Amino acid sequence: MDNKMDLDKRQNEGIENIPMQQRRDFLKMGLAITGIFAGGSLLSVASTFNRAHASDFAKKYPYKPHYSMVMRQDRCIDCERCMEACVKTNHVPNVHGAYRTTILEKDTPDAIGGKREFIPVLCNQCNLPQCVRVCPTKATYKDKTTGIVMMKISNCIGCLTCQEGCPYNARYFNEEKKAVDKCNFCFDTRLVHGEKLTACAFACPAEVRIFGDLSNQEDQVFKLVHQIEKQVWVLRPEAGTRPNVFYTKG
Amino acid sequence: MTLRTLVTFATAIVLTAGAALAATHGGDIVYEKPVKGVIFSHKIHVEDKALSCDMCHNRLFEMGKTAQEKADFVMESLYQGKYCGACHNGTMAFASNTRCATCHIGVKGQKRLSGGDKHDKKGH
Repeated sequence: MDNKMDLDKRQNEGIENIPMQQRRDFLKMGLAITGIFAGGSLLSVASTFNRAHASDFAKKYPYKPHYSMVMRQDRCIDCERCMEACVKTNHVPNVHGAYRTTILEKDTPDAIGGKREFIPVLCNQCNLPQCVRVCPTKATYKDKTTGIVMMKISNCIGCLTCQEGCPYNARYFNEEKKAVDKCNFCFDTRLVHGEKLTACAFACPAEVRIFGDLSNQEDQVFKLVHQIEKQVWVLRPEAGTRPNVFYTKG
Repeated sequence: MTLRTLVTFATAIVLTAGAALAATHGGDIVYEKPVKGVIFSHKIHVEDKALSCDMCHNRLFEMGKTAQEKADFVMESLYQGKYCGACHNGTMAFASNTRCATCHIGVKGQKRLSGGDKHDKKGH
């Protein structure tokens, strides 16, 4: 009771009398706490992003070529030429839910100007692919040369665990192949034949999909990812899979 | 039924149809070439913006003909002031190389307009 009275009667000491060292410690503590709380989202993105800009890019992009795609999202007009090209090139069956790439739509009714945004999506060819981690038969694997997440369909038992593991919804079960199928940046259908672009990037009339080698400093993909004028982001960074498909605008 | 009532009847139909056409101002046009799903709304331009017919229906867009049949109906022509680009140049209306998805409603937008594909197929 006495204690309570004392507390009520106490005057605010102000910050003038707190030693500088105490104030510093307090501020540091605050930074540490916010760091931890924001660690899962914003700050961690910012910090990993900064690290991706570091000069040790060769270590950061261990594959050669380190295939990657940058989406200039605001240019997408949902003409679906990319999807048509993908279906034709990679023999994707005409079944609902079967796709290697698709276009998402985001309504922005309150925005000034545009009323919608189109977001092209495909396999992010993650550096830490959850699909590979959870596959019980090693039917899906990270290619050691190109970094592309590939399928060895003879190993696939169709358990669909990879679909559950993928944060990007980039896998479907192909009834014809009796295996899970996914985007492989047209590796077997175009890249091995000497083509420089994936079918979708080649078909895009608005130059939304920029495809290239992230380990090559002269490549447009590298330049787009490493400039600082325009924001670059990845989808679902909280999944922590370190995707190789980037998004930007303008 | 006499010939006279028939004629009156036919005239009435023609008049009603004409009035309906005028009311919708040609309605929504969805271009499919060179890319799919590009909308032009007569309502927005004629009713909301109160533009007169002859602002576009002079040398820019011939009435009764579809511009998409012409080979130069592409964005590059718009940037040079042809077709939509006559107004959509950044001064009179938003520039043709901005706000892409305002006119480009896409295949999804086109399907919604036609009322088909209710469950909004995400893939192909």
